[in-house]
Amino acid sequence: MVIRHLLLSFALAAICAGPVLSNELRAPEEVLSDLIEKNESSYLTQSEQNIMMMPDNAALWLADEGKALFYEQRGPNNVSLETCDLGKGPGVLEGAYVELPRYFADTGRVMDLESRLVYCLTTIQGFADDDPTVSTRHGSSSDMMKLQTFIAAQSSGYAWNPPMEHPLEKAMRDAGEVLFYRRAGTSDFSCGTCHAATGKRIRASVLPDINRPEEWTKAISWPAYRVGQQNVRSSQHRVRGCYWQMRQPESIAGSDAAIALMSYWTDAARGQPSILPDKKR
Amino acid sequence: MKTKPHTPALLAALLTMAAAGSASADSADGGAPDYTAMSPQALAEYLIFEAGGFDLDAPTQEGGTARDRMVQDEIQQICTELKLSGKPLDRATAARISALADESMKYPEKGIALGDWKKGEQIARSGYGFRIGHRNDDHAAEEPGGNCYACHQLDPNEVAYGTVGPSLAGYGSLRGTSDAMLKHTYDILYNAHLYFPCTNMPRFGYHGTLTEQQISDVMAYLLAPDSPVNQQPPATAER
Ligand code: HEC
Repeated sequence: MVIRHLLLSFALAAICAGPVLSNELRAPEEVLSDLIEKNESSYLTQSEQNIMMMPDNAALWLADEGKALFYEQRGPNNVSLETCDLGKGPGVLEGAYVELPRYFADTGRVMDLESRLVYCLTTIQGFADDDPTVSTRHGSSSDMMKLQTFIAAQSSGYAWNPPMEHPLEKAMRDAGEVLFYRRAGTSDFSCGTCHAATGKRIRASVLPDINRPEEWTKAISWPAYRVGQQNVRSSQHRVRGCYWQMRQPESIAGSDAAIALMSYWTDAARGQPSILPDKKR
Repeated sequence: MKTKPHTPALLAALLTMAAAGSASADSADGGAPDYTAMSPQALAEYLIFEAGGFDLDAPTQEGGTARDRMVQDEIQQICTELKLSGKPLDRATAARISALADESMKYPEKGIALGDWKKGEQIARSGYGFRIGHRNDDHAAEEPGGNCYACHQLDPNEVAYGTVGPSLAGYGSLRGTSDAMLKHTYDILYNAHLYFPCTNMPRFGYHGTLTEQQISDVMAYLLAPDSPVNQQPPATAER
């Protein structure tokens, strides 16, 4: 599997074979309707109401609030986040999120959006780890969700393209694959129990299949407004929720285990355009 | 991608090697091993058990801690490796799995009997129980369920059923209630790997996530002739 993956990413990087990677900003509802048109998928089409209401997505307002926060001079250091390097250089936001998680030389770690944002808030703006700006991770009213939603939206329509050049990026992705299929606990589940076949349902919910990038792109398009929870939610919130449903221990935000899992799941959507912010059940 | 089965001994050896190793690429929290020198399996184990990936000290409903939930038993380990290898199930592995399942079987002292299908229906519908972490299920407040509907069709009039497992609509009317069928059904609820090695089906009896009484109630829901599972759907279902 690893070999095949290496060959694939090499081929894509070297000669840009296969589908041309899209790299222009597009409205999330446009990306989704395009995906639906091109692919037969009961997962993508499962909630027509959500699709129709996409332009009214409450997450779009959150992105606006996040934008204001990003450029505001804040924290003990009274500076903006404009020097925050999300992987494409200080302050470069467009297309940055679809290339996360990635290796950062300044920390020596592979980091996802959430952990990188924590790094910027604490090192650049000087917020303490226990300041609510940093420590409150969930809910539409949190700075974390506002900032994540704004930053992610600057990648909508860009194809997922997490770099795999650094050996740590590959090591994390491969460990993430093991985590994804690792069965454990009182229910004997792994993520693969529910997300490795197409068109299956849990109760009435159609499940996304990790082996179909055109489905999986929607699955990992977070932040998303969750209609059932009336809040914008993050990738980590989804990871935590699925471990909870599996009756396995609580996943810790920013841990290498959580980041490894996201490295694998982002790699699995490679080449397909992101839908940001998304809206889900 | 996998060449050697990983054993705790191999893992320990790898971790020691990595910890004592010269090339430490990861300097951020000194002492961390070089991830790139580890197999994906060894790294995954390290991230779970040593690198703070999960809240492992949380208590669980069955007693013990969350850590115990992450330690794989042999069936979980073999089935994970099989899935990662991408290979189909071979005869030797299948035989090993069903032998392990066979060893795990325990039968009710008074024999296998059908319980109350109405209670079985509640158990089949309820997804409560055994969740830990940011919200702990409180078994004193609500009895855990089996969550059968998450994956299976049962009552043909219920529309919100999952399809991860096969449809069980009409299970009893198709199979009857012979002693052999009762035992077969009990075995599947207790440890389905006996007949279906590396099945997705949770081992409710083996893990104790359903009690002996609950298993017999669910069996009644599946098998009793008067259970809704074994009725024909009305011609005009109003749903
Ligand atoms: C028992 C089945 C089951 C298991 C096991 C499971 N999930 Fe899920 N997952 C679901 C369901 C059901 C949904 C849809 C949630 C909804 O509609 O409310 C979902 C949603 C998701 C989504 C978002 C897709 C969407 O449309 O909302 C992602 C991503 C995901 N799961 C990843 C994972 C990962 C990673 C794991 C392992 C840590 C995992 N899942 C384990 C059932 C499962």
